[in-house]
Amino acid sequence: MPASSIIGEADLHALVDGELDAERRRKVEDHLLTHPADAALVEGWRRQNAALRAAFEPAALEMLPLSLKDAATRTNAPQQGPIETGAIHWGRPGASRPSQRLDEIRASRRRQAALSTVLTLLAGAAVAGLAALVFAGRNEAPRPPVSAVLTQSYAGRASLTYATYASDARPVEIEVSRKGELVAWLAERVGFSRPPNLAGLGLRLIGGRVTPGVAAPAGLLIYERADGARLGLYFERAEAAGAPLAPRAAQGVTAIEWRAGGFAFVLVGPLAQEEMQAAAESAATAIAAAPDEKR
Amino acid sequence: MGKKAEILERLGGIAPALRRYSRALCAGAGHTLSDELVQSALQNVGARIRARELRPADLQEARLEAYAALTASAAKRLTEASRPTPRHPPIVHGLAELSLDDRAALLLVSLEGMGYEAAARVLGIQRAALLSGLMRARTALGVVGLPPADAESGARRAASHLRIVK
Repeated sequence: MPASSIIGEADLHALVDGELDAERRRKVEDHLLTHPADAALVEGWRRQNAALRAAFEPAALEMLPLSLKDAATRTNAPQQGPIETGAIHWGRPGASRPSQRLDEIRASRRRQAALSTVLTLLAGAAVAGLAALVFAGRNEAPRPPVSAVLTQSYAGRASLTYATYASDARPVEIEVSRKGELVAWLAERVGFSRPPNLAGLGLRLIGGRVTPGVAAPAGLLIYERADGARLGLYFERAEAAGAPLAPRAAQGVTAIEWRAGGFAFVLVGPLAQEEMQAAAESAATAIAAAPDEKR
Repeated sequence: MGKKAEILERLGGIAPALRRYSRALCAGAGHTLSDELVQSALQNVGARIRARELRPADLQEARLEAYAALTASAAKRLTEASRPTPRHPPIVHGLAELSLDDRAALLLVSLEGMGYEAAARVLGIQRAALLSGLMRARTALGVVGLPPADAESGARRAASHLRIVK
C-alpha cells in the first residue's frame, strides 16, 4: 500500500477542519465507511465543535461594553509627555525620523484644520435647520435609538434578555431545586408559572428569573442540554406591546415566537433550526395542555 | 480614507468574535478579565499600526495580529486567574483542564474556524506543532458531557402557530 493512501489521525482532524483537498477528502471519507471506530472519532470531534460553538457563541452576540467600542482607534494614555508639540503626542521618542515626523505633523495639522472647518459649517447648518424646524412648529419626534427599536418586539427583548443571562456564570435567580419558590415568584410578578417540561428533548430546566418587560415584568426560564447549550424561554403579557417588528438578524441564534393564553412566548437558543422548532413545539404543547392560569 | 485608516476603522468589527474567543480561552476566569484582554489586544494592534510597527496588508492580517496579541496577554494574565465554578457547564471545566497552548489551538480552529496556517501564525508555531496541540486538546476534552447522537432525525414540521422570527 503506498504511503499516500494510508489514512492517519491527522487526516481525520483535517477532514473535520476542512483542510483536505477534494481528492484526499474522498479517500478519507471512503476510509470512514470501512472503519467505524475512526468514523466515531470524527463524529465525536464534530459534536465537540458544535458544543464549543453553542457554549460561547452567545458571547459574540452580547452588546459590546463601552470599553470595547472603538478600542482599536482609541489612543492609550501617553506613557511620556508630548514631544514636538502639545497638540500631538508621539508614543515613543525615536520611533521614526524627526524630519518625517515634522512633515507628518504639518500635514496632520492641515487635515485637522480642514476637517474642523467642515465640521463647524456642518454643525452650524444642523443648528440652523433645527431652529428653523422648531420655529416653524414642525416639532417631530426624533428617531428612537437602535436599542429602542430592537426592544419594541418580543423577539428583540427576548434576544437581549437571553444574551444578557444565558452565558452568565449565574444565569438564573432561582434554581430548579427551589421550584416551588420559583413558580410562586413568577406567578405573582408575571402571571404565568408553568415551566414546560422539555426533558424529552434532552433539555433540563435549570431555573428562571423575572426580567423587565414593557408594561409589566416578564419572565425568563433557562433550559440546558447535556453539552452545555442553553435555551431561554421568554414570556410576557401580550398586551404589553403591539405587533412585533422584524428583529435584527443575529448569527447563530434562532428565536421562535408564539402567543398563548394572553402571553407572548419566545424561545431563543443556539441550536439548529429544526431542534429549536421541536423544542418550541414541545413547549407550546405543554403550555397549552396545562390548566389556564389565574389572571 | 487610506488603507491604514480603513483597517483601523474596520478592526473594531472583530471585537465580538475576539470576545467569544477570549471568553472561551479564559475558561471561567471571569468576564471582566476576558473583556480586558480583548480591549488590550485591540489597543495594542491599533497602536502598533498607527506607529507603523505593524503594516498589515489587509484586515485579515490585522485580525490575526489581534488574536495573537490576545493570546500572548492571556498567557501572562491567566496564571493567577480563578478556576471555573460548579455553575459553569462541563465544557468550560474541560477547557480549563487543558494547557493554554492546547486550548488556544483548539479554540482558534474549532470555535473561530481558522485554517491550520492561520492558527499556527497566531500562536507563532509550526503547522505540525499546531496539529499536535489540536490532537492533544481534542483527546483530552473528549466527549464527556456531550449527548449521544440524535437517533430521531425525523423532526416534526412546524406547526402553523409557530413563527420563526429570526
